[in-house]
Amino acid sequence: MLYALLAILSGAAGGLIVFLTPKGSRRLRSIITLLFAASGAVFSWLTALSVFAGKSVRIGFEFGELAWSFDPDPLGAVFGLIASTLWLFATVYSFGYMAEKKRQRIYYAFFLISLSATVGVAFAGNLITLYLFYELLTLATYPLVIHERSPEAARAGTKYIMYNLSGAGAILIAIIITYRFAGNPDFIEGPVLAGVETPVMGWLLVMFIVGFGVKAAIMPLHRWLPSAMVAPTPVSALLHAVAVVYAGVFGVIRVVYSVFGHELAGQMSISPILPWVAAFSILAGVIVALRQDVLKRRLAYQTVSHLSYILLGAFTLEPWGLAGAMMQMITYPFMKMTLFFCAGIIAEQTGETRISRMKGVGRELPWTMAAFTAAALGMVGMLPMSTFWGKYYLMKGSVAGGMWPFAVVLAVSGLINAACFIPVAVEAFRGDKIQSCREKDTRTVWMFAPTALLVVIAVVTGLVPGIVWPGAEAVTDWFFR
Amino acid sequence: MKALLEKLIINYPYFFAVVLFAIGVLTVLTRSNLFKKLLGINIMGSAGFILFIASGNIRGGVEPILHTSDHEAVYVNPLPSALMLTGIVVSVSVTAFALSLIIRLYKEYGTTDAQRIARMRNEVKKIDSNDRR
Amino acid sequence: MTAMIADNLPVLVIIVPLFIGIVLPVFARRLRLVEGMVVLAEALGLVGAGFLAYMVVTRKGADWIYQVGGWPAPWGIELTANSLAVFFLAVVMVVSLPIALFTIGNLRQEVGGNMRTARFYTLFLLLVGSLAGMALTNDLFNTYVLVEVATLSCCGLVSSHGTPRAAEAAFNYLILATLASSLVVSGIGFIYVITGHLNMGFASQGLEQIWQAKPHAVWIAISFVLVGFGLKSAIFPLHIWLPDAHSSAPSPASAVLSGLAVKGYMICLLKFLYVVFGPDLMKEFSVDRILVLAGMTAIICGSVMALPQNNLKRRLAFSTVAQVGYIYLGFGLMDINGLAGALFYLASHAAIKSALFLSAGAMISATGKKKISELAGIGRKMPLTASVFTAASLGLIGIPLFSGFIGKWYLIAGSLDSGDFLPTIIIIAGSVLCAAYLFPVIRVAWFESPQQAEQVNAEQQAEQPDSAAQEGSRGIALQDEEMHSGQQVQQTAVYQNVQENTPPGNQVKDPGTAQKLALILLTAVIFILGIMPGPFIALAKRAAAELLMLR
Repeated sequence: MLYALLAILSGAAGGLIVFLTPKGSRRLRSIITLLFAASGAVFSWLTALSVFAGKSVRIGFEFGELAWSFDPDPLGAVFGLIASTLWLFATVYSFGYMAEKKRQRIYYAFFLISLSATVGVAFAGNLITLYLFYELLTLATYPLVIHERSPEAARAGTKYIMYNLSGAGAILIAIIITYRFAGNPDFIEGPVLAGVETPVMGWLLVMFIVGFGVKAAIMPLHRWLPSAMVAPTPVSALLHAVAVVYAGVFGVIRVVYSVFGHELAGQMSISPILPWVAAFSILAGVIVALRQDVLKRRLAYQTVSHLSYILLGAFTLEPWGLAGAMMQMITYPFMKMTLFFCAGIIAEQTGETRISRMKGVGRELPWTMAAFTAAALGMVGMLPMSTFWGKYYLMKGSVAGGMWPFAVVLAVSGLINAACFIPVAVEAFRGDKIQSCREKDTRTVWMFAPTALLVVIAVVTGLVPGIVWPGAEAVTDWFFR
Repeated sequence: MKALLEKLIINYPYFFAVVLFAIGVLTVLTRSNLFKKLLGINIMGSAGFILFIASGNIRGGVEPILHTSDHEAVYVNPLPSALMLTGIVVSVSVTAFALSLIIRLYKEYGTTDAQRIARMRNEVKKIDSNDRR
Repeated sequence: MTAMIADNLPVLVIIVPLFIGIVLPVFARRLRLVEGMVVLAEALGLVGAGFLAYMVVTRKGADWIYQVGGWPAPWGIELTANSLAVFFLAVVMVVSLPIALFTIGNLRQEVGGNMRTARFYTLFLLLVGSLAGMALTNDLFNTYVLVEVATLSCCGLVSSHGTPRAAEAAFNYLILATLASSLVVSGIGFIYVITGHLNMGFASQGLEQIWQAKPHAVWIAISFVLVGFGLKSAIFPLHIWLPDAHSSAPSPASAVLSGLAVKGYMICLLKFLYVVFGPDLMKEFSVDRILVLAGMTAIICGSVMALPQNNLKRRLAFSTVAQVGYIYLGFGLMDINGLAGALFYLASHAAIKSALFLSAGAMISATGKKKISELAGIGRKMPLTASVFTAASLGLIGIPLFSGFIGKWYLIAGSLDSGDFLPTIIIIAGSVLCAAYLFPVIRVAWFESPQQAEQVNAEQQAEQPDSAAQEGSRGIALQDEEMHSGQQVQQTAVYQNVQENTPPGNQVKDPGTAQKLALILLTAVIFILGIMPGPFIALAKRAAAELLMLR
């Protein structure tokens, strides 16, 4: 079963080949990029299908005491699927967005290498492998963050590295402590720390969550995320709304369910506090977002809030909560990427990044703003959009666990989300036109096509949630077997 | 007090070793003239040698040659002296090397004063950075 | 013949580099021959070290004790080939071979003249030989002599650069190193006075019997040894000589000084503390806590001091100060994982820092620019060199797959075992700071084009004047009237000419084949240690067990 390995390697191989392409050959580079992104997605699908079918896809290497293994369970398979599939959308969008930008070769190369690292995080079979790809992901996305080459980008890059390496350091300490108690077994063999008794258990969990929480942008650790928005829009959309931050969220879920297990985590005195931490992030993130004028920054803070939806579901330690988290994890990125893509199209076509100056932009870009409106509804959690189901199961999980305050938190957050985005959409169609618009060309098409497709997928999955439900169900069954 | 003083007098080589060491360290650290620094180093080294050699000496002992006539003779330990020969060789080479460095510095800067050299170096740096702008 | 060589291997490993080194200046006119001999000596040393390591590993348990000249222990000098010795010997030989390769055909422009180059090689081989000796010797006074040989060679290597700055740095280094030697020899003197032995094993037995009767004398001996070797290996408050010395030496010399020489003194300290005084005495006099504290301080202070340096080699030199802290920290943990981690980290840092200094040296000599901000876009022009620099940086930061990660893994494991959580946090903080001072270099090298760099520079200078300008203004403040004599200005001009005598920047490209080979070898070492650390960490653990348990 080499599919998992191929899925991981295709990104890195593609990245290296893109490096070697000659300078002027844009078309060739685009084809290579699309080809390898597609192969990554295809192999991820193949791996995931075998995982859901219950086959073992383990690949392991052992060098001395350190064992590397790739052994996705349903959770890893789902994450790998989301990441590699959305990569395709972002790649196509990049063809339009990056067409007239400088330094495309470096951009596409690291864009592909990041795919490798993300799929590696998803398919990692044990803690050390997870850590390896987690670090590689930080390194591979660094060149993308500083892509603008401005002093601001350089500062954002340094901040990005500092925050993420500090988080990784906390994870490393926790991994070493875990290793001394339980060794380095595969996740698939059940919770790593099951049966271990030690007084430092609570601290261990805190250290893991703080470490992964940096990438998951839990509220006091989120500061790198808004500054990282200096990156090109496809990078912000894919990496800083989905792939990189999901690596953090994925890590937290991994730790809670695969390292500790929901039974052990449920017994710990710290576990009732955790959902409150997530709830704080949910509300604080979206309130801060409300005050941002730059659209991408507003989206960034809103990402902080929405990532904690997933964490909240995971922290309830209830089957319905986890199912809600998984539904949220699967459905949310479609909407979030739509918003980012729209922001990118607006910025490219009119040069506007500030919300206060976006009045009347819907007259020029009606379809883009229609997509924006649909995604805004999705962020609120209204029915035709798939995100409704995530929120529904999250609320169900909270109530089922007797934690009804969180259902209130979710509802309030939905309202504030509405205040965040609905006025933008309304103003865009209502206000007077105050900015000039660039001529629409093939670039606009390249950018708009994936955006529209994302909205369509979101609507379809919203109307027929049975398409994505098996993924959530498989993960829930796996951890609560 | 008296006992302490007596001990001090009996072990006077050690006492001198300590005094010399202190003088040496002080000279190295406080003097800015390179020659004086070098002298301080040498004084300090001598303190170490005295410490070593004194440890091998036995008052009333004789040189370690087989005395057929006197079976009761107490021999002085020859090892420390032999070792310090090596130490002296090392210290000579250090001195020679340091002197050659001092000569080079003198040729470059026209002085053997460490502080002045540092000041002149800063000036060079300043002109350097002015040029670059 | 082969039997004779095999029987006398421990002494041959030391003697061969020393001997070849001494005869080198005779052949100074034929530089090719000299270079060949140096590489030959290194290769012989590597083979010898490998064979010795093989013999020791297969022997299982018993050390190979070699009596020099056939004199038995209390009188004669012993060489002990135990796990620690072969480990460090292997590190010395594996790292110094690429450095020797790097110098081929490359040294004359930096050192100047055939004779000077030959002398450089003499000093280089003397240093390698004495480091090998430090690894093997089991005799206190022998250690002192080897330390002195190494110190003099180091000073010579620093001053081999033609600039007066190098001479000044070498002089300062010489003074402080000799001060340290005096401390060490006094410490040895005290041990001899207390025990009457210079053999490490016998001295240790003597100390064990007598230390309770004379605790003060033992305390003085320990502190002399600690401060002496601490000064030589540049542990934090005693590091003041290091940045000047390591940054003004020619790059291969910086590599061998930062990579190996400092480590040799640390191995000596390790032997003194663990073999002579023993773990019990260390705990009794709380030397372990001093080491941990010094290590932690060095990690933080060294890294923080490295941050504002704009001169690339100075930044690397300050980074050495920080990395030395990791090794001291590991020495002080008194735990098998911690000590093995420290030894492994020592090996890994030797390779990494050599690779960093060599690649930095290649960049500097190709462009003639010393400042980090001036190296913008060097990655495009010198891809291999910049890649090696990047790989080594990642290794130093402690990214998995690179050797630094394994070292840090075991150091953290050791510090967790010792029950103290603070060192663990310091280790992590140190690697984050390490990223903070190395990532900008990587960014500038790969992701900035020269014009942009100038823009950023101008902005930064507008915000805050850089350190050079500050020092310059201080220079103005300190100026005396007499400083303005015509003679001085003339000399300054002469010095400037020396400085600007660098190759033009328009032919910037990767260095020659030998240099590339050297860089690739070092990178391979970093990767092999990082991916397949098994046998090396096993040897380090064996050495740690011997140091901790056997007494």
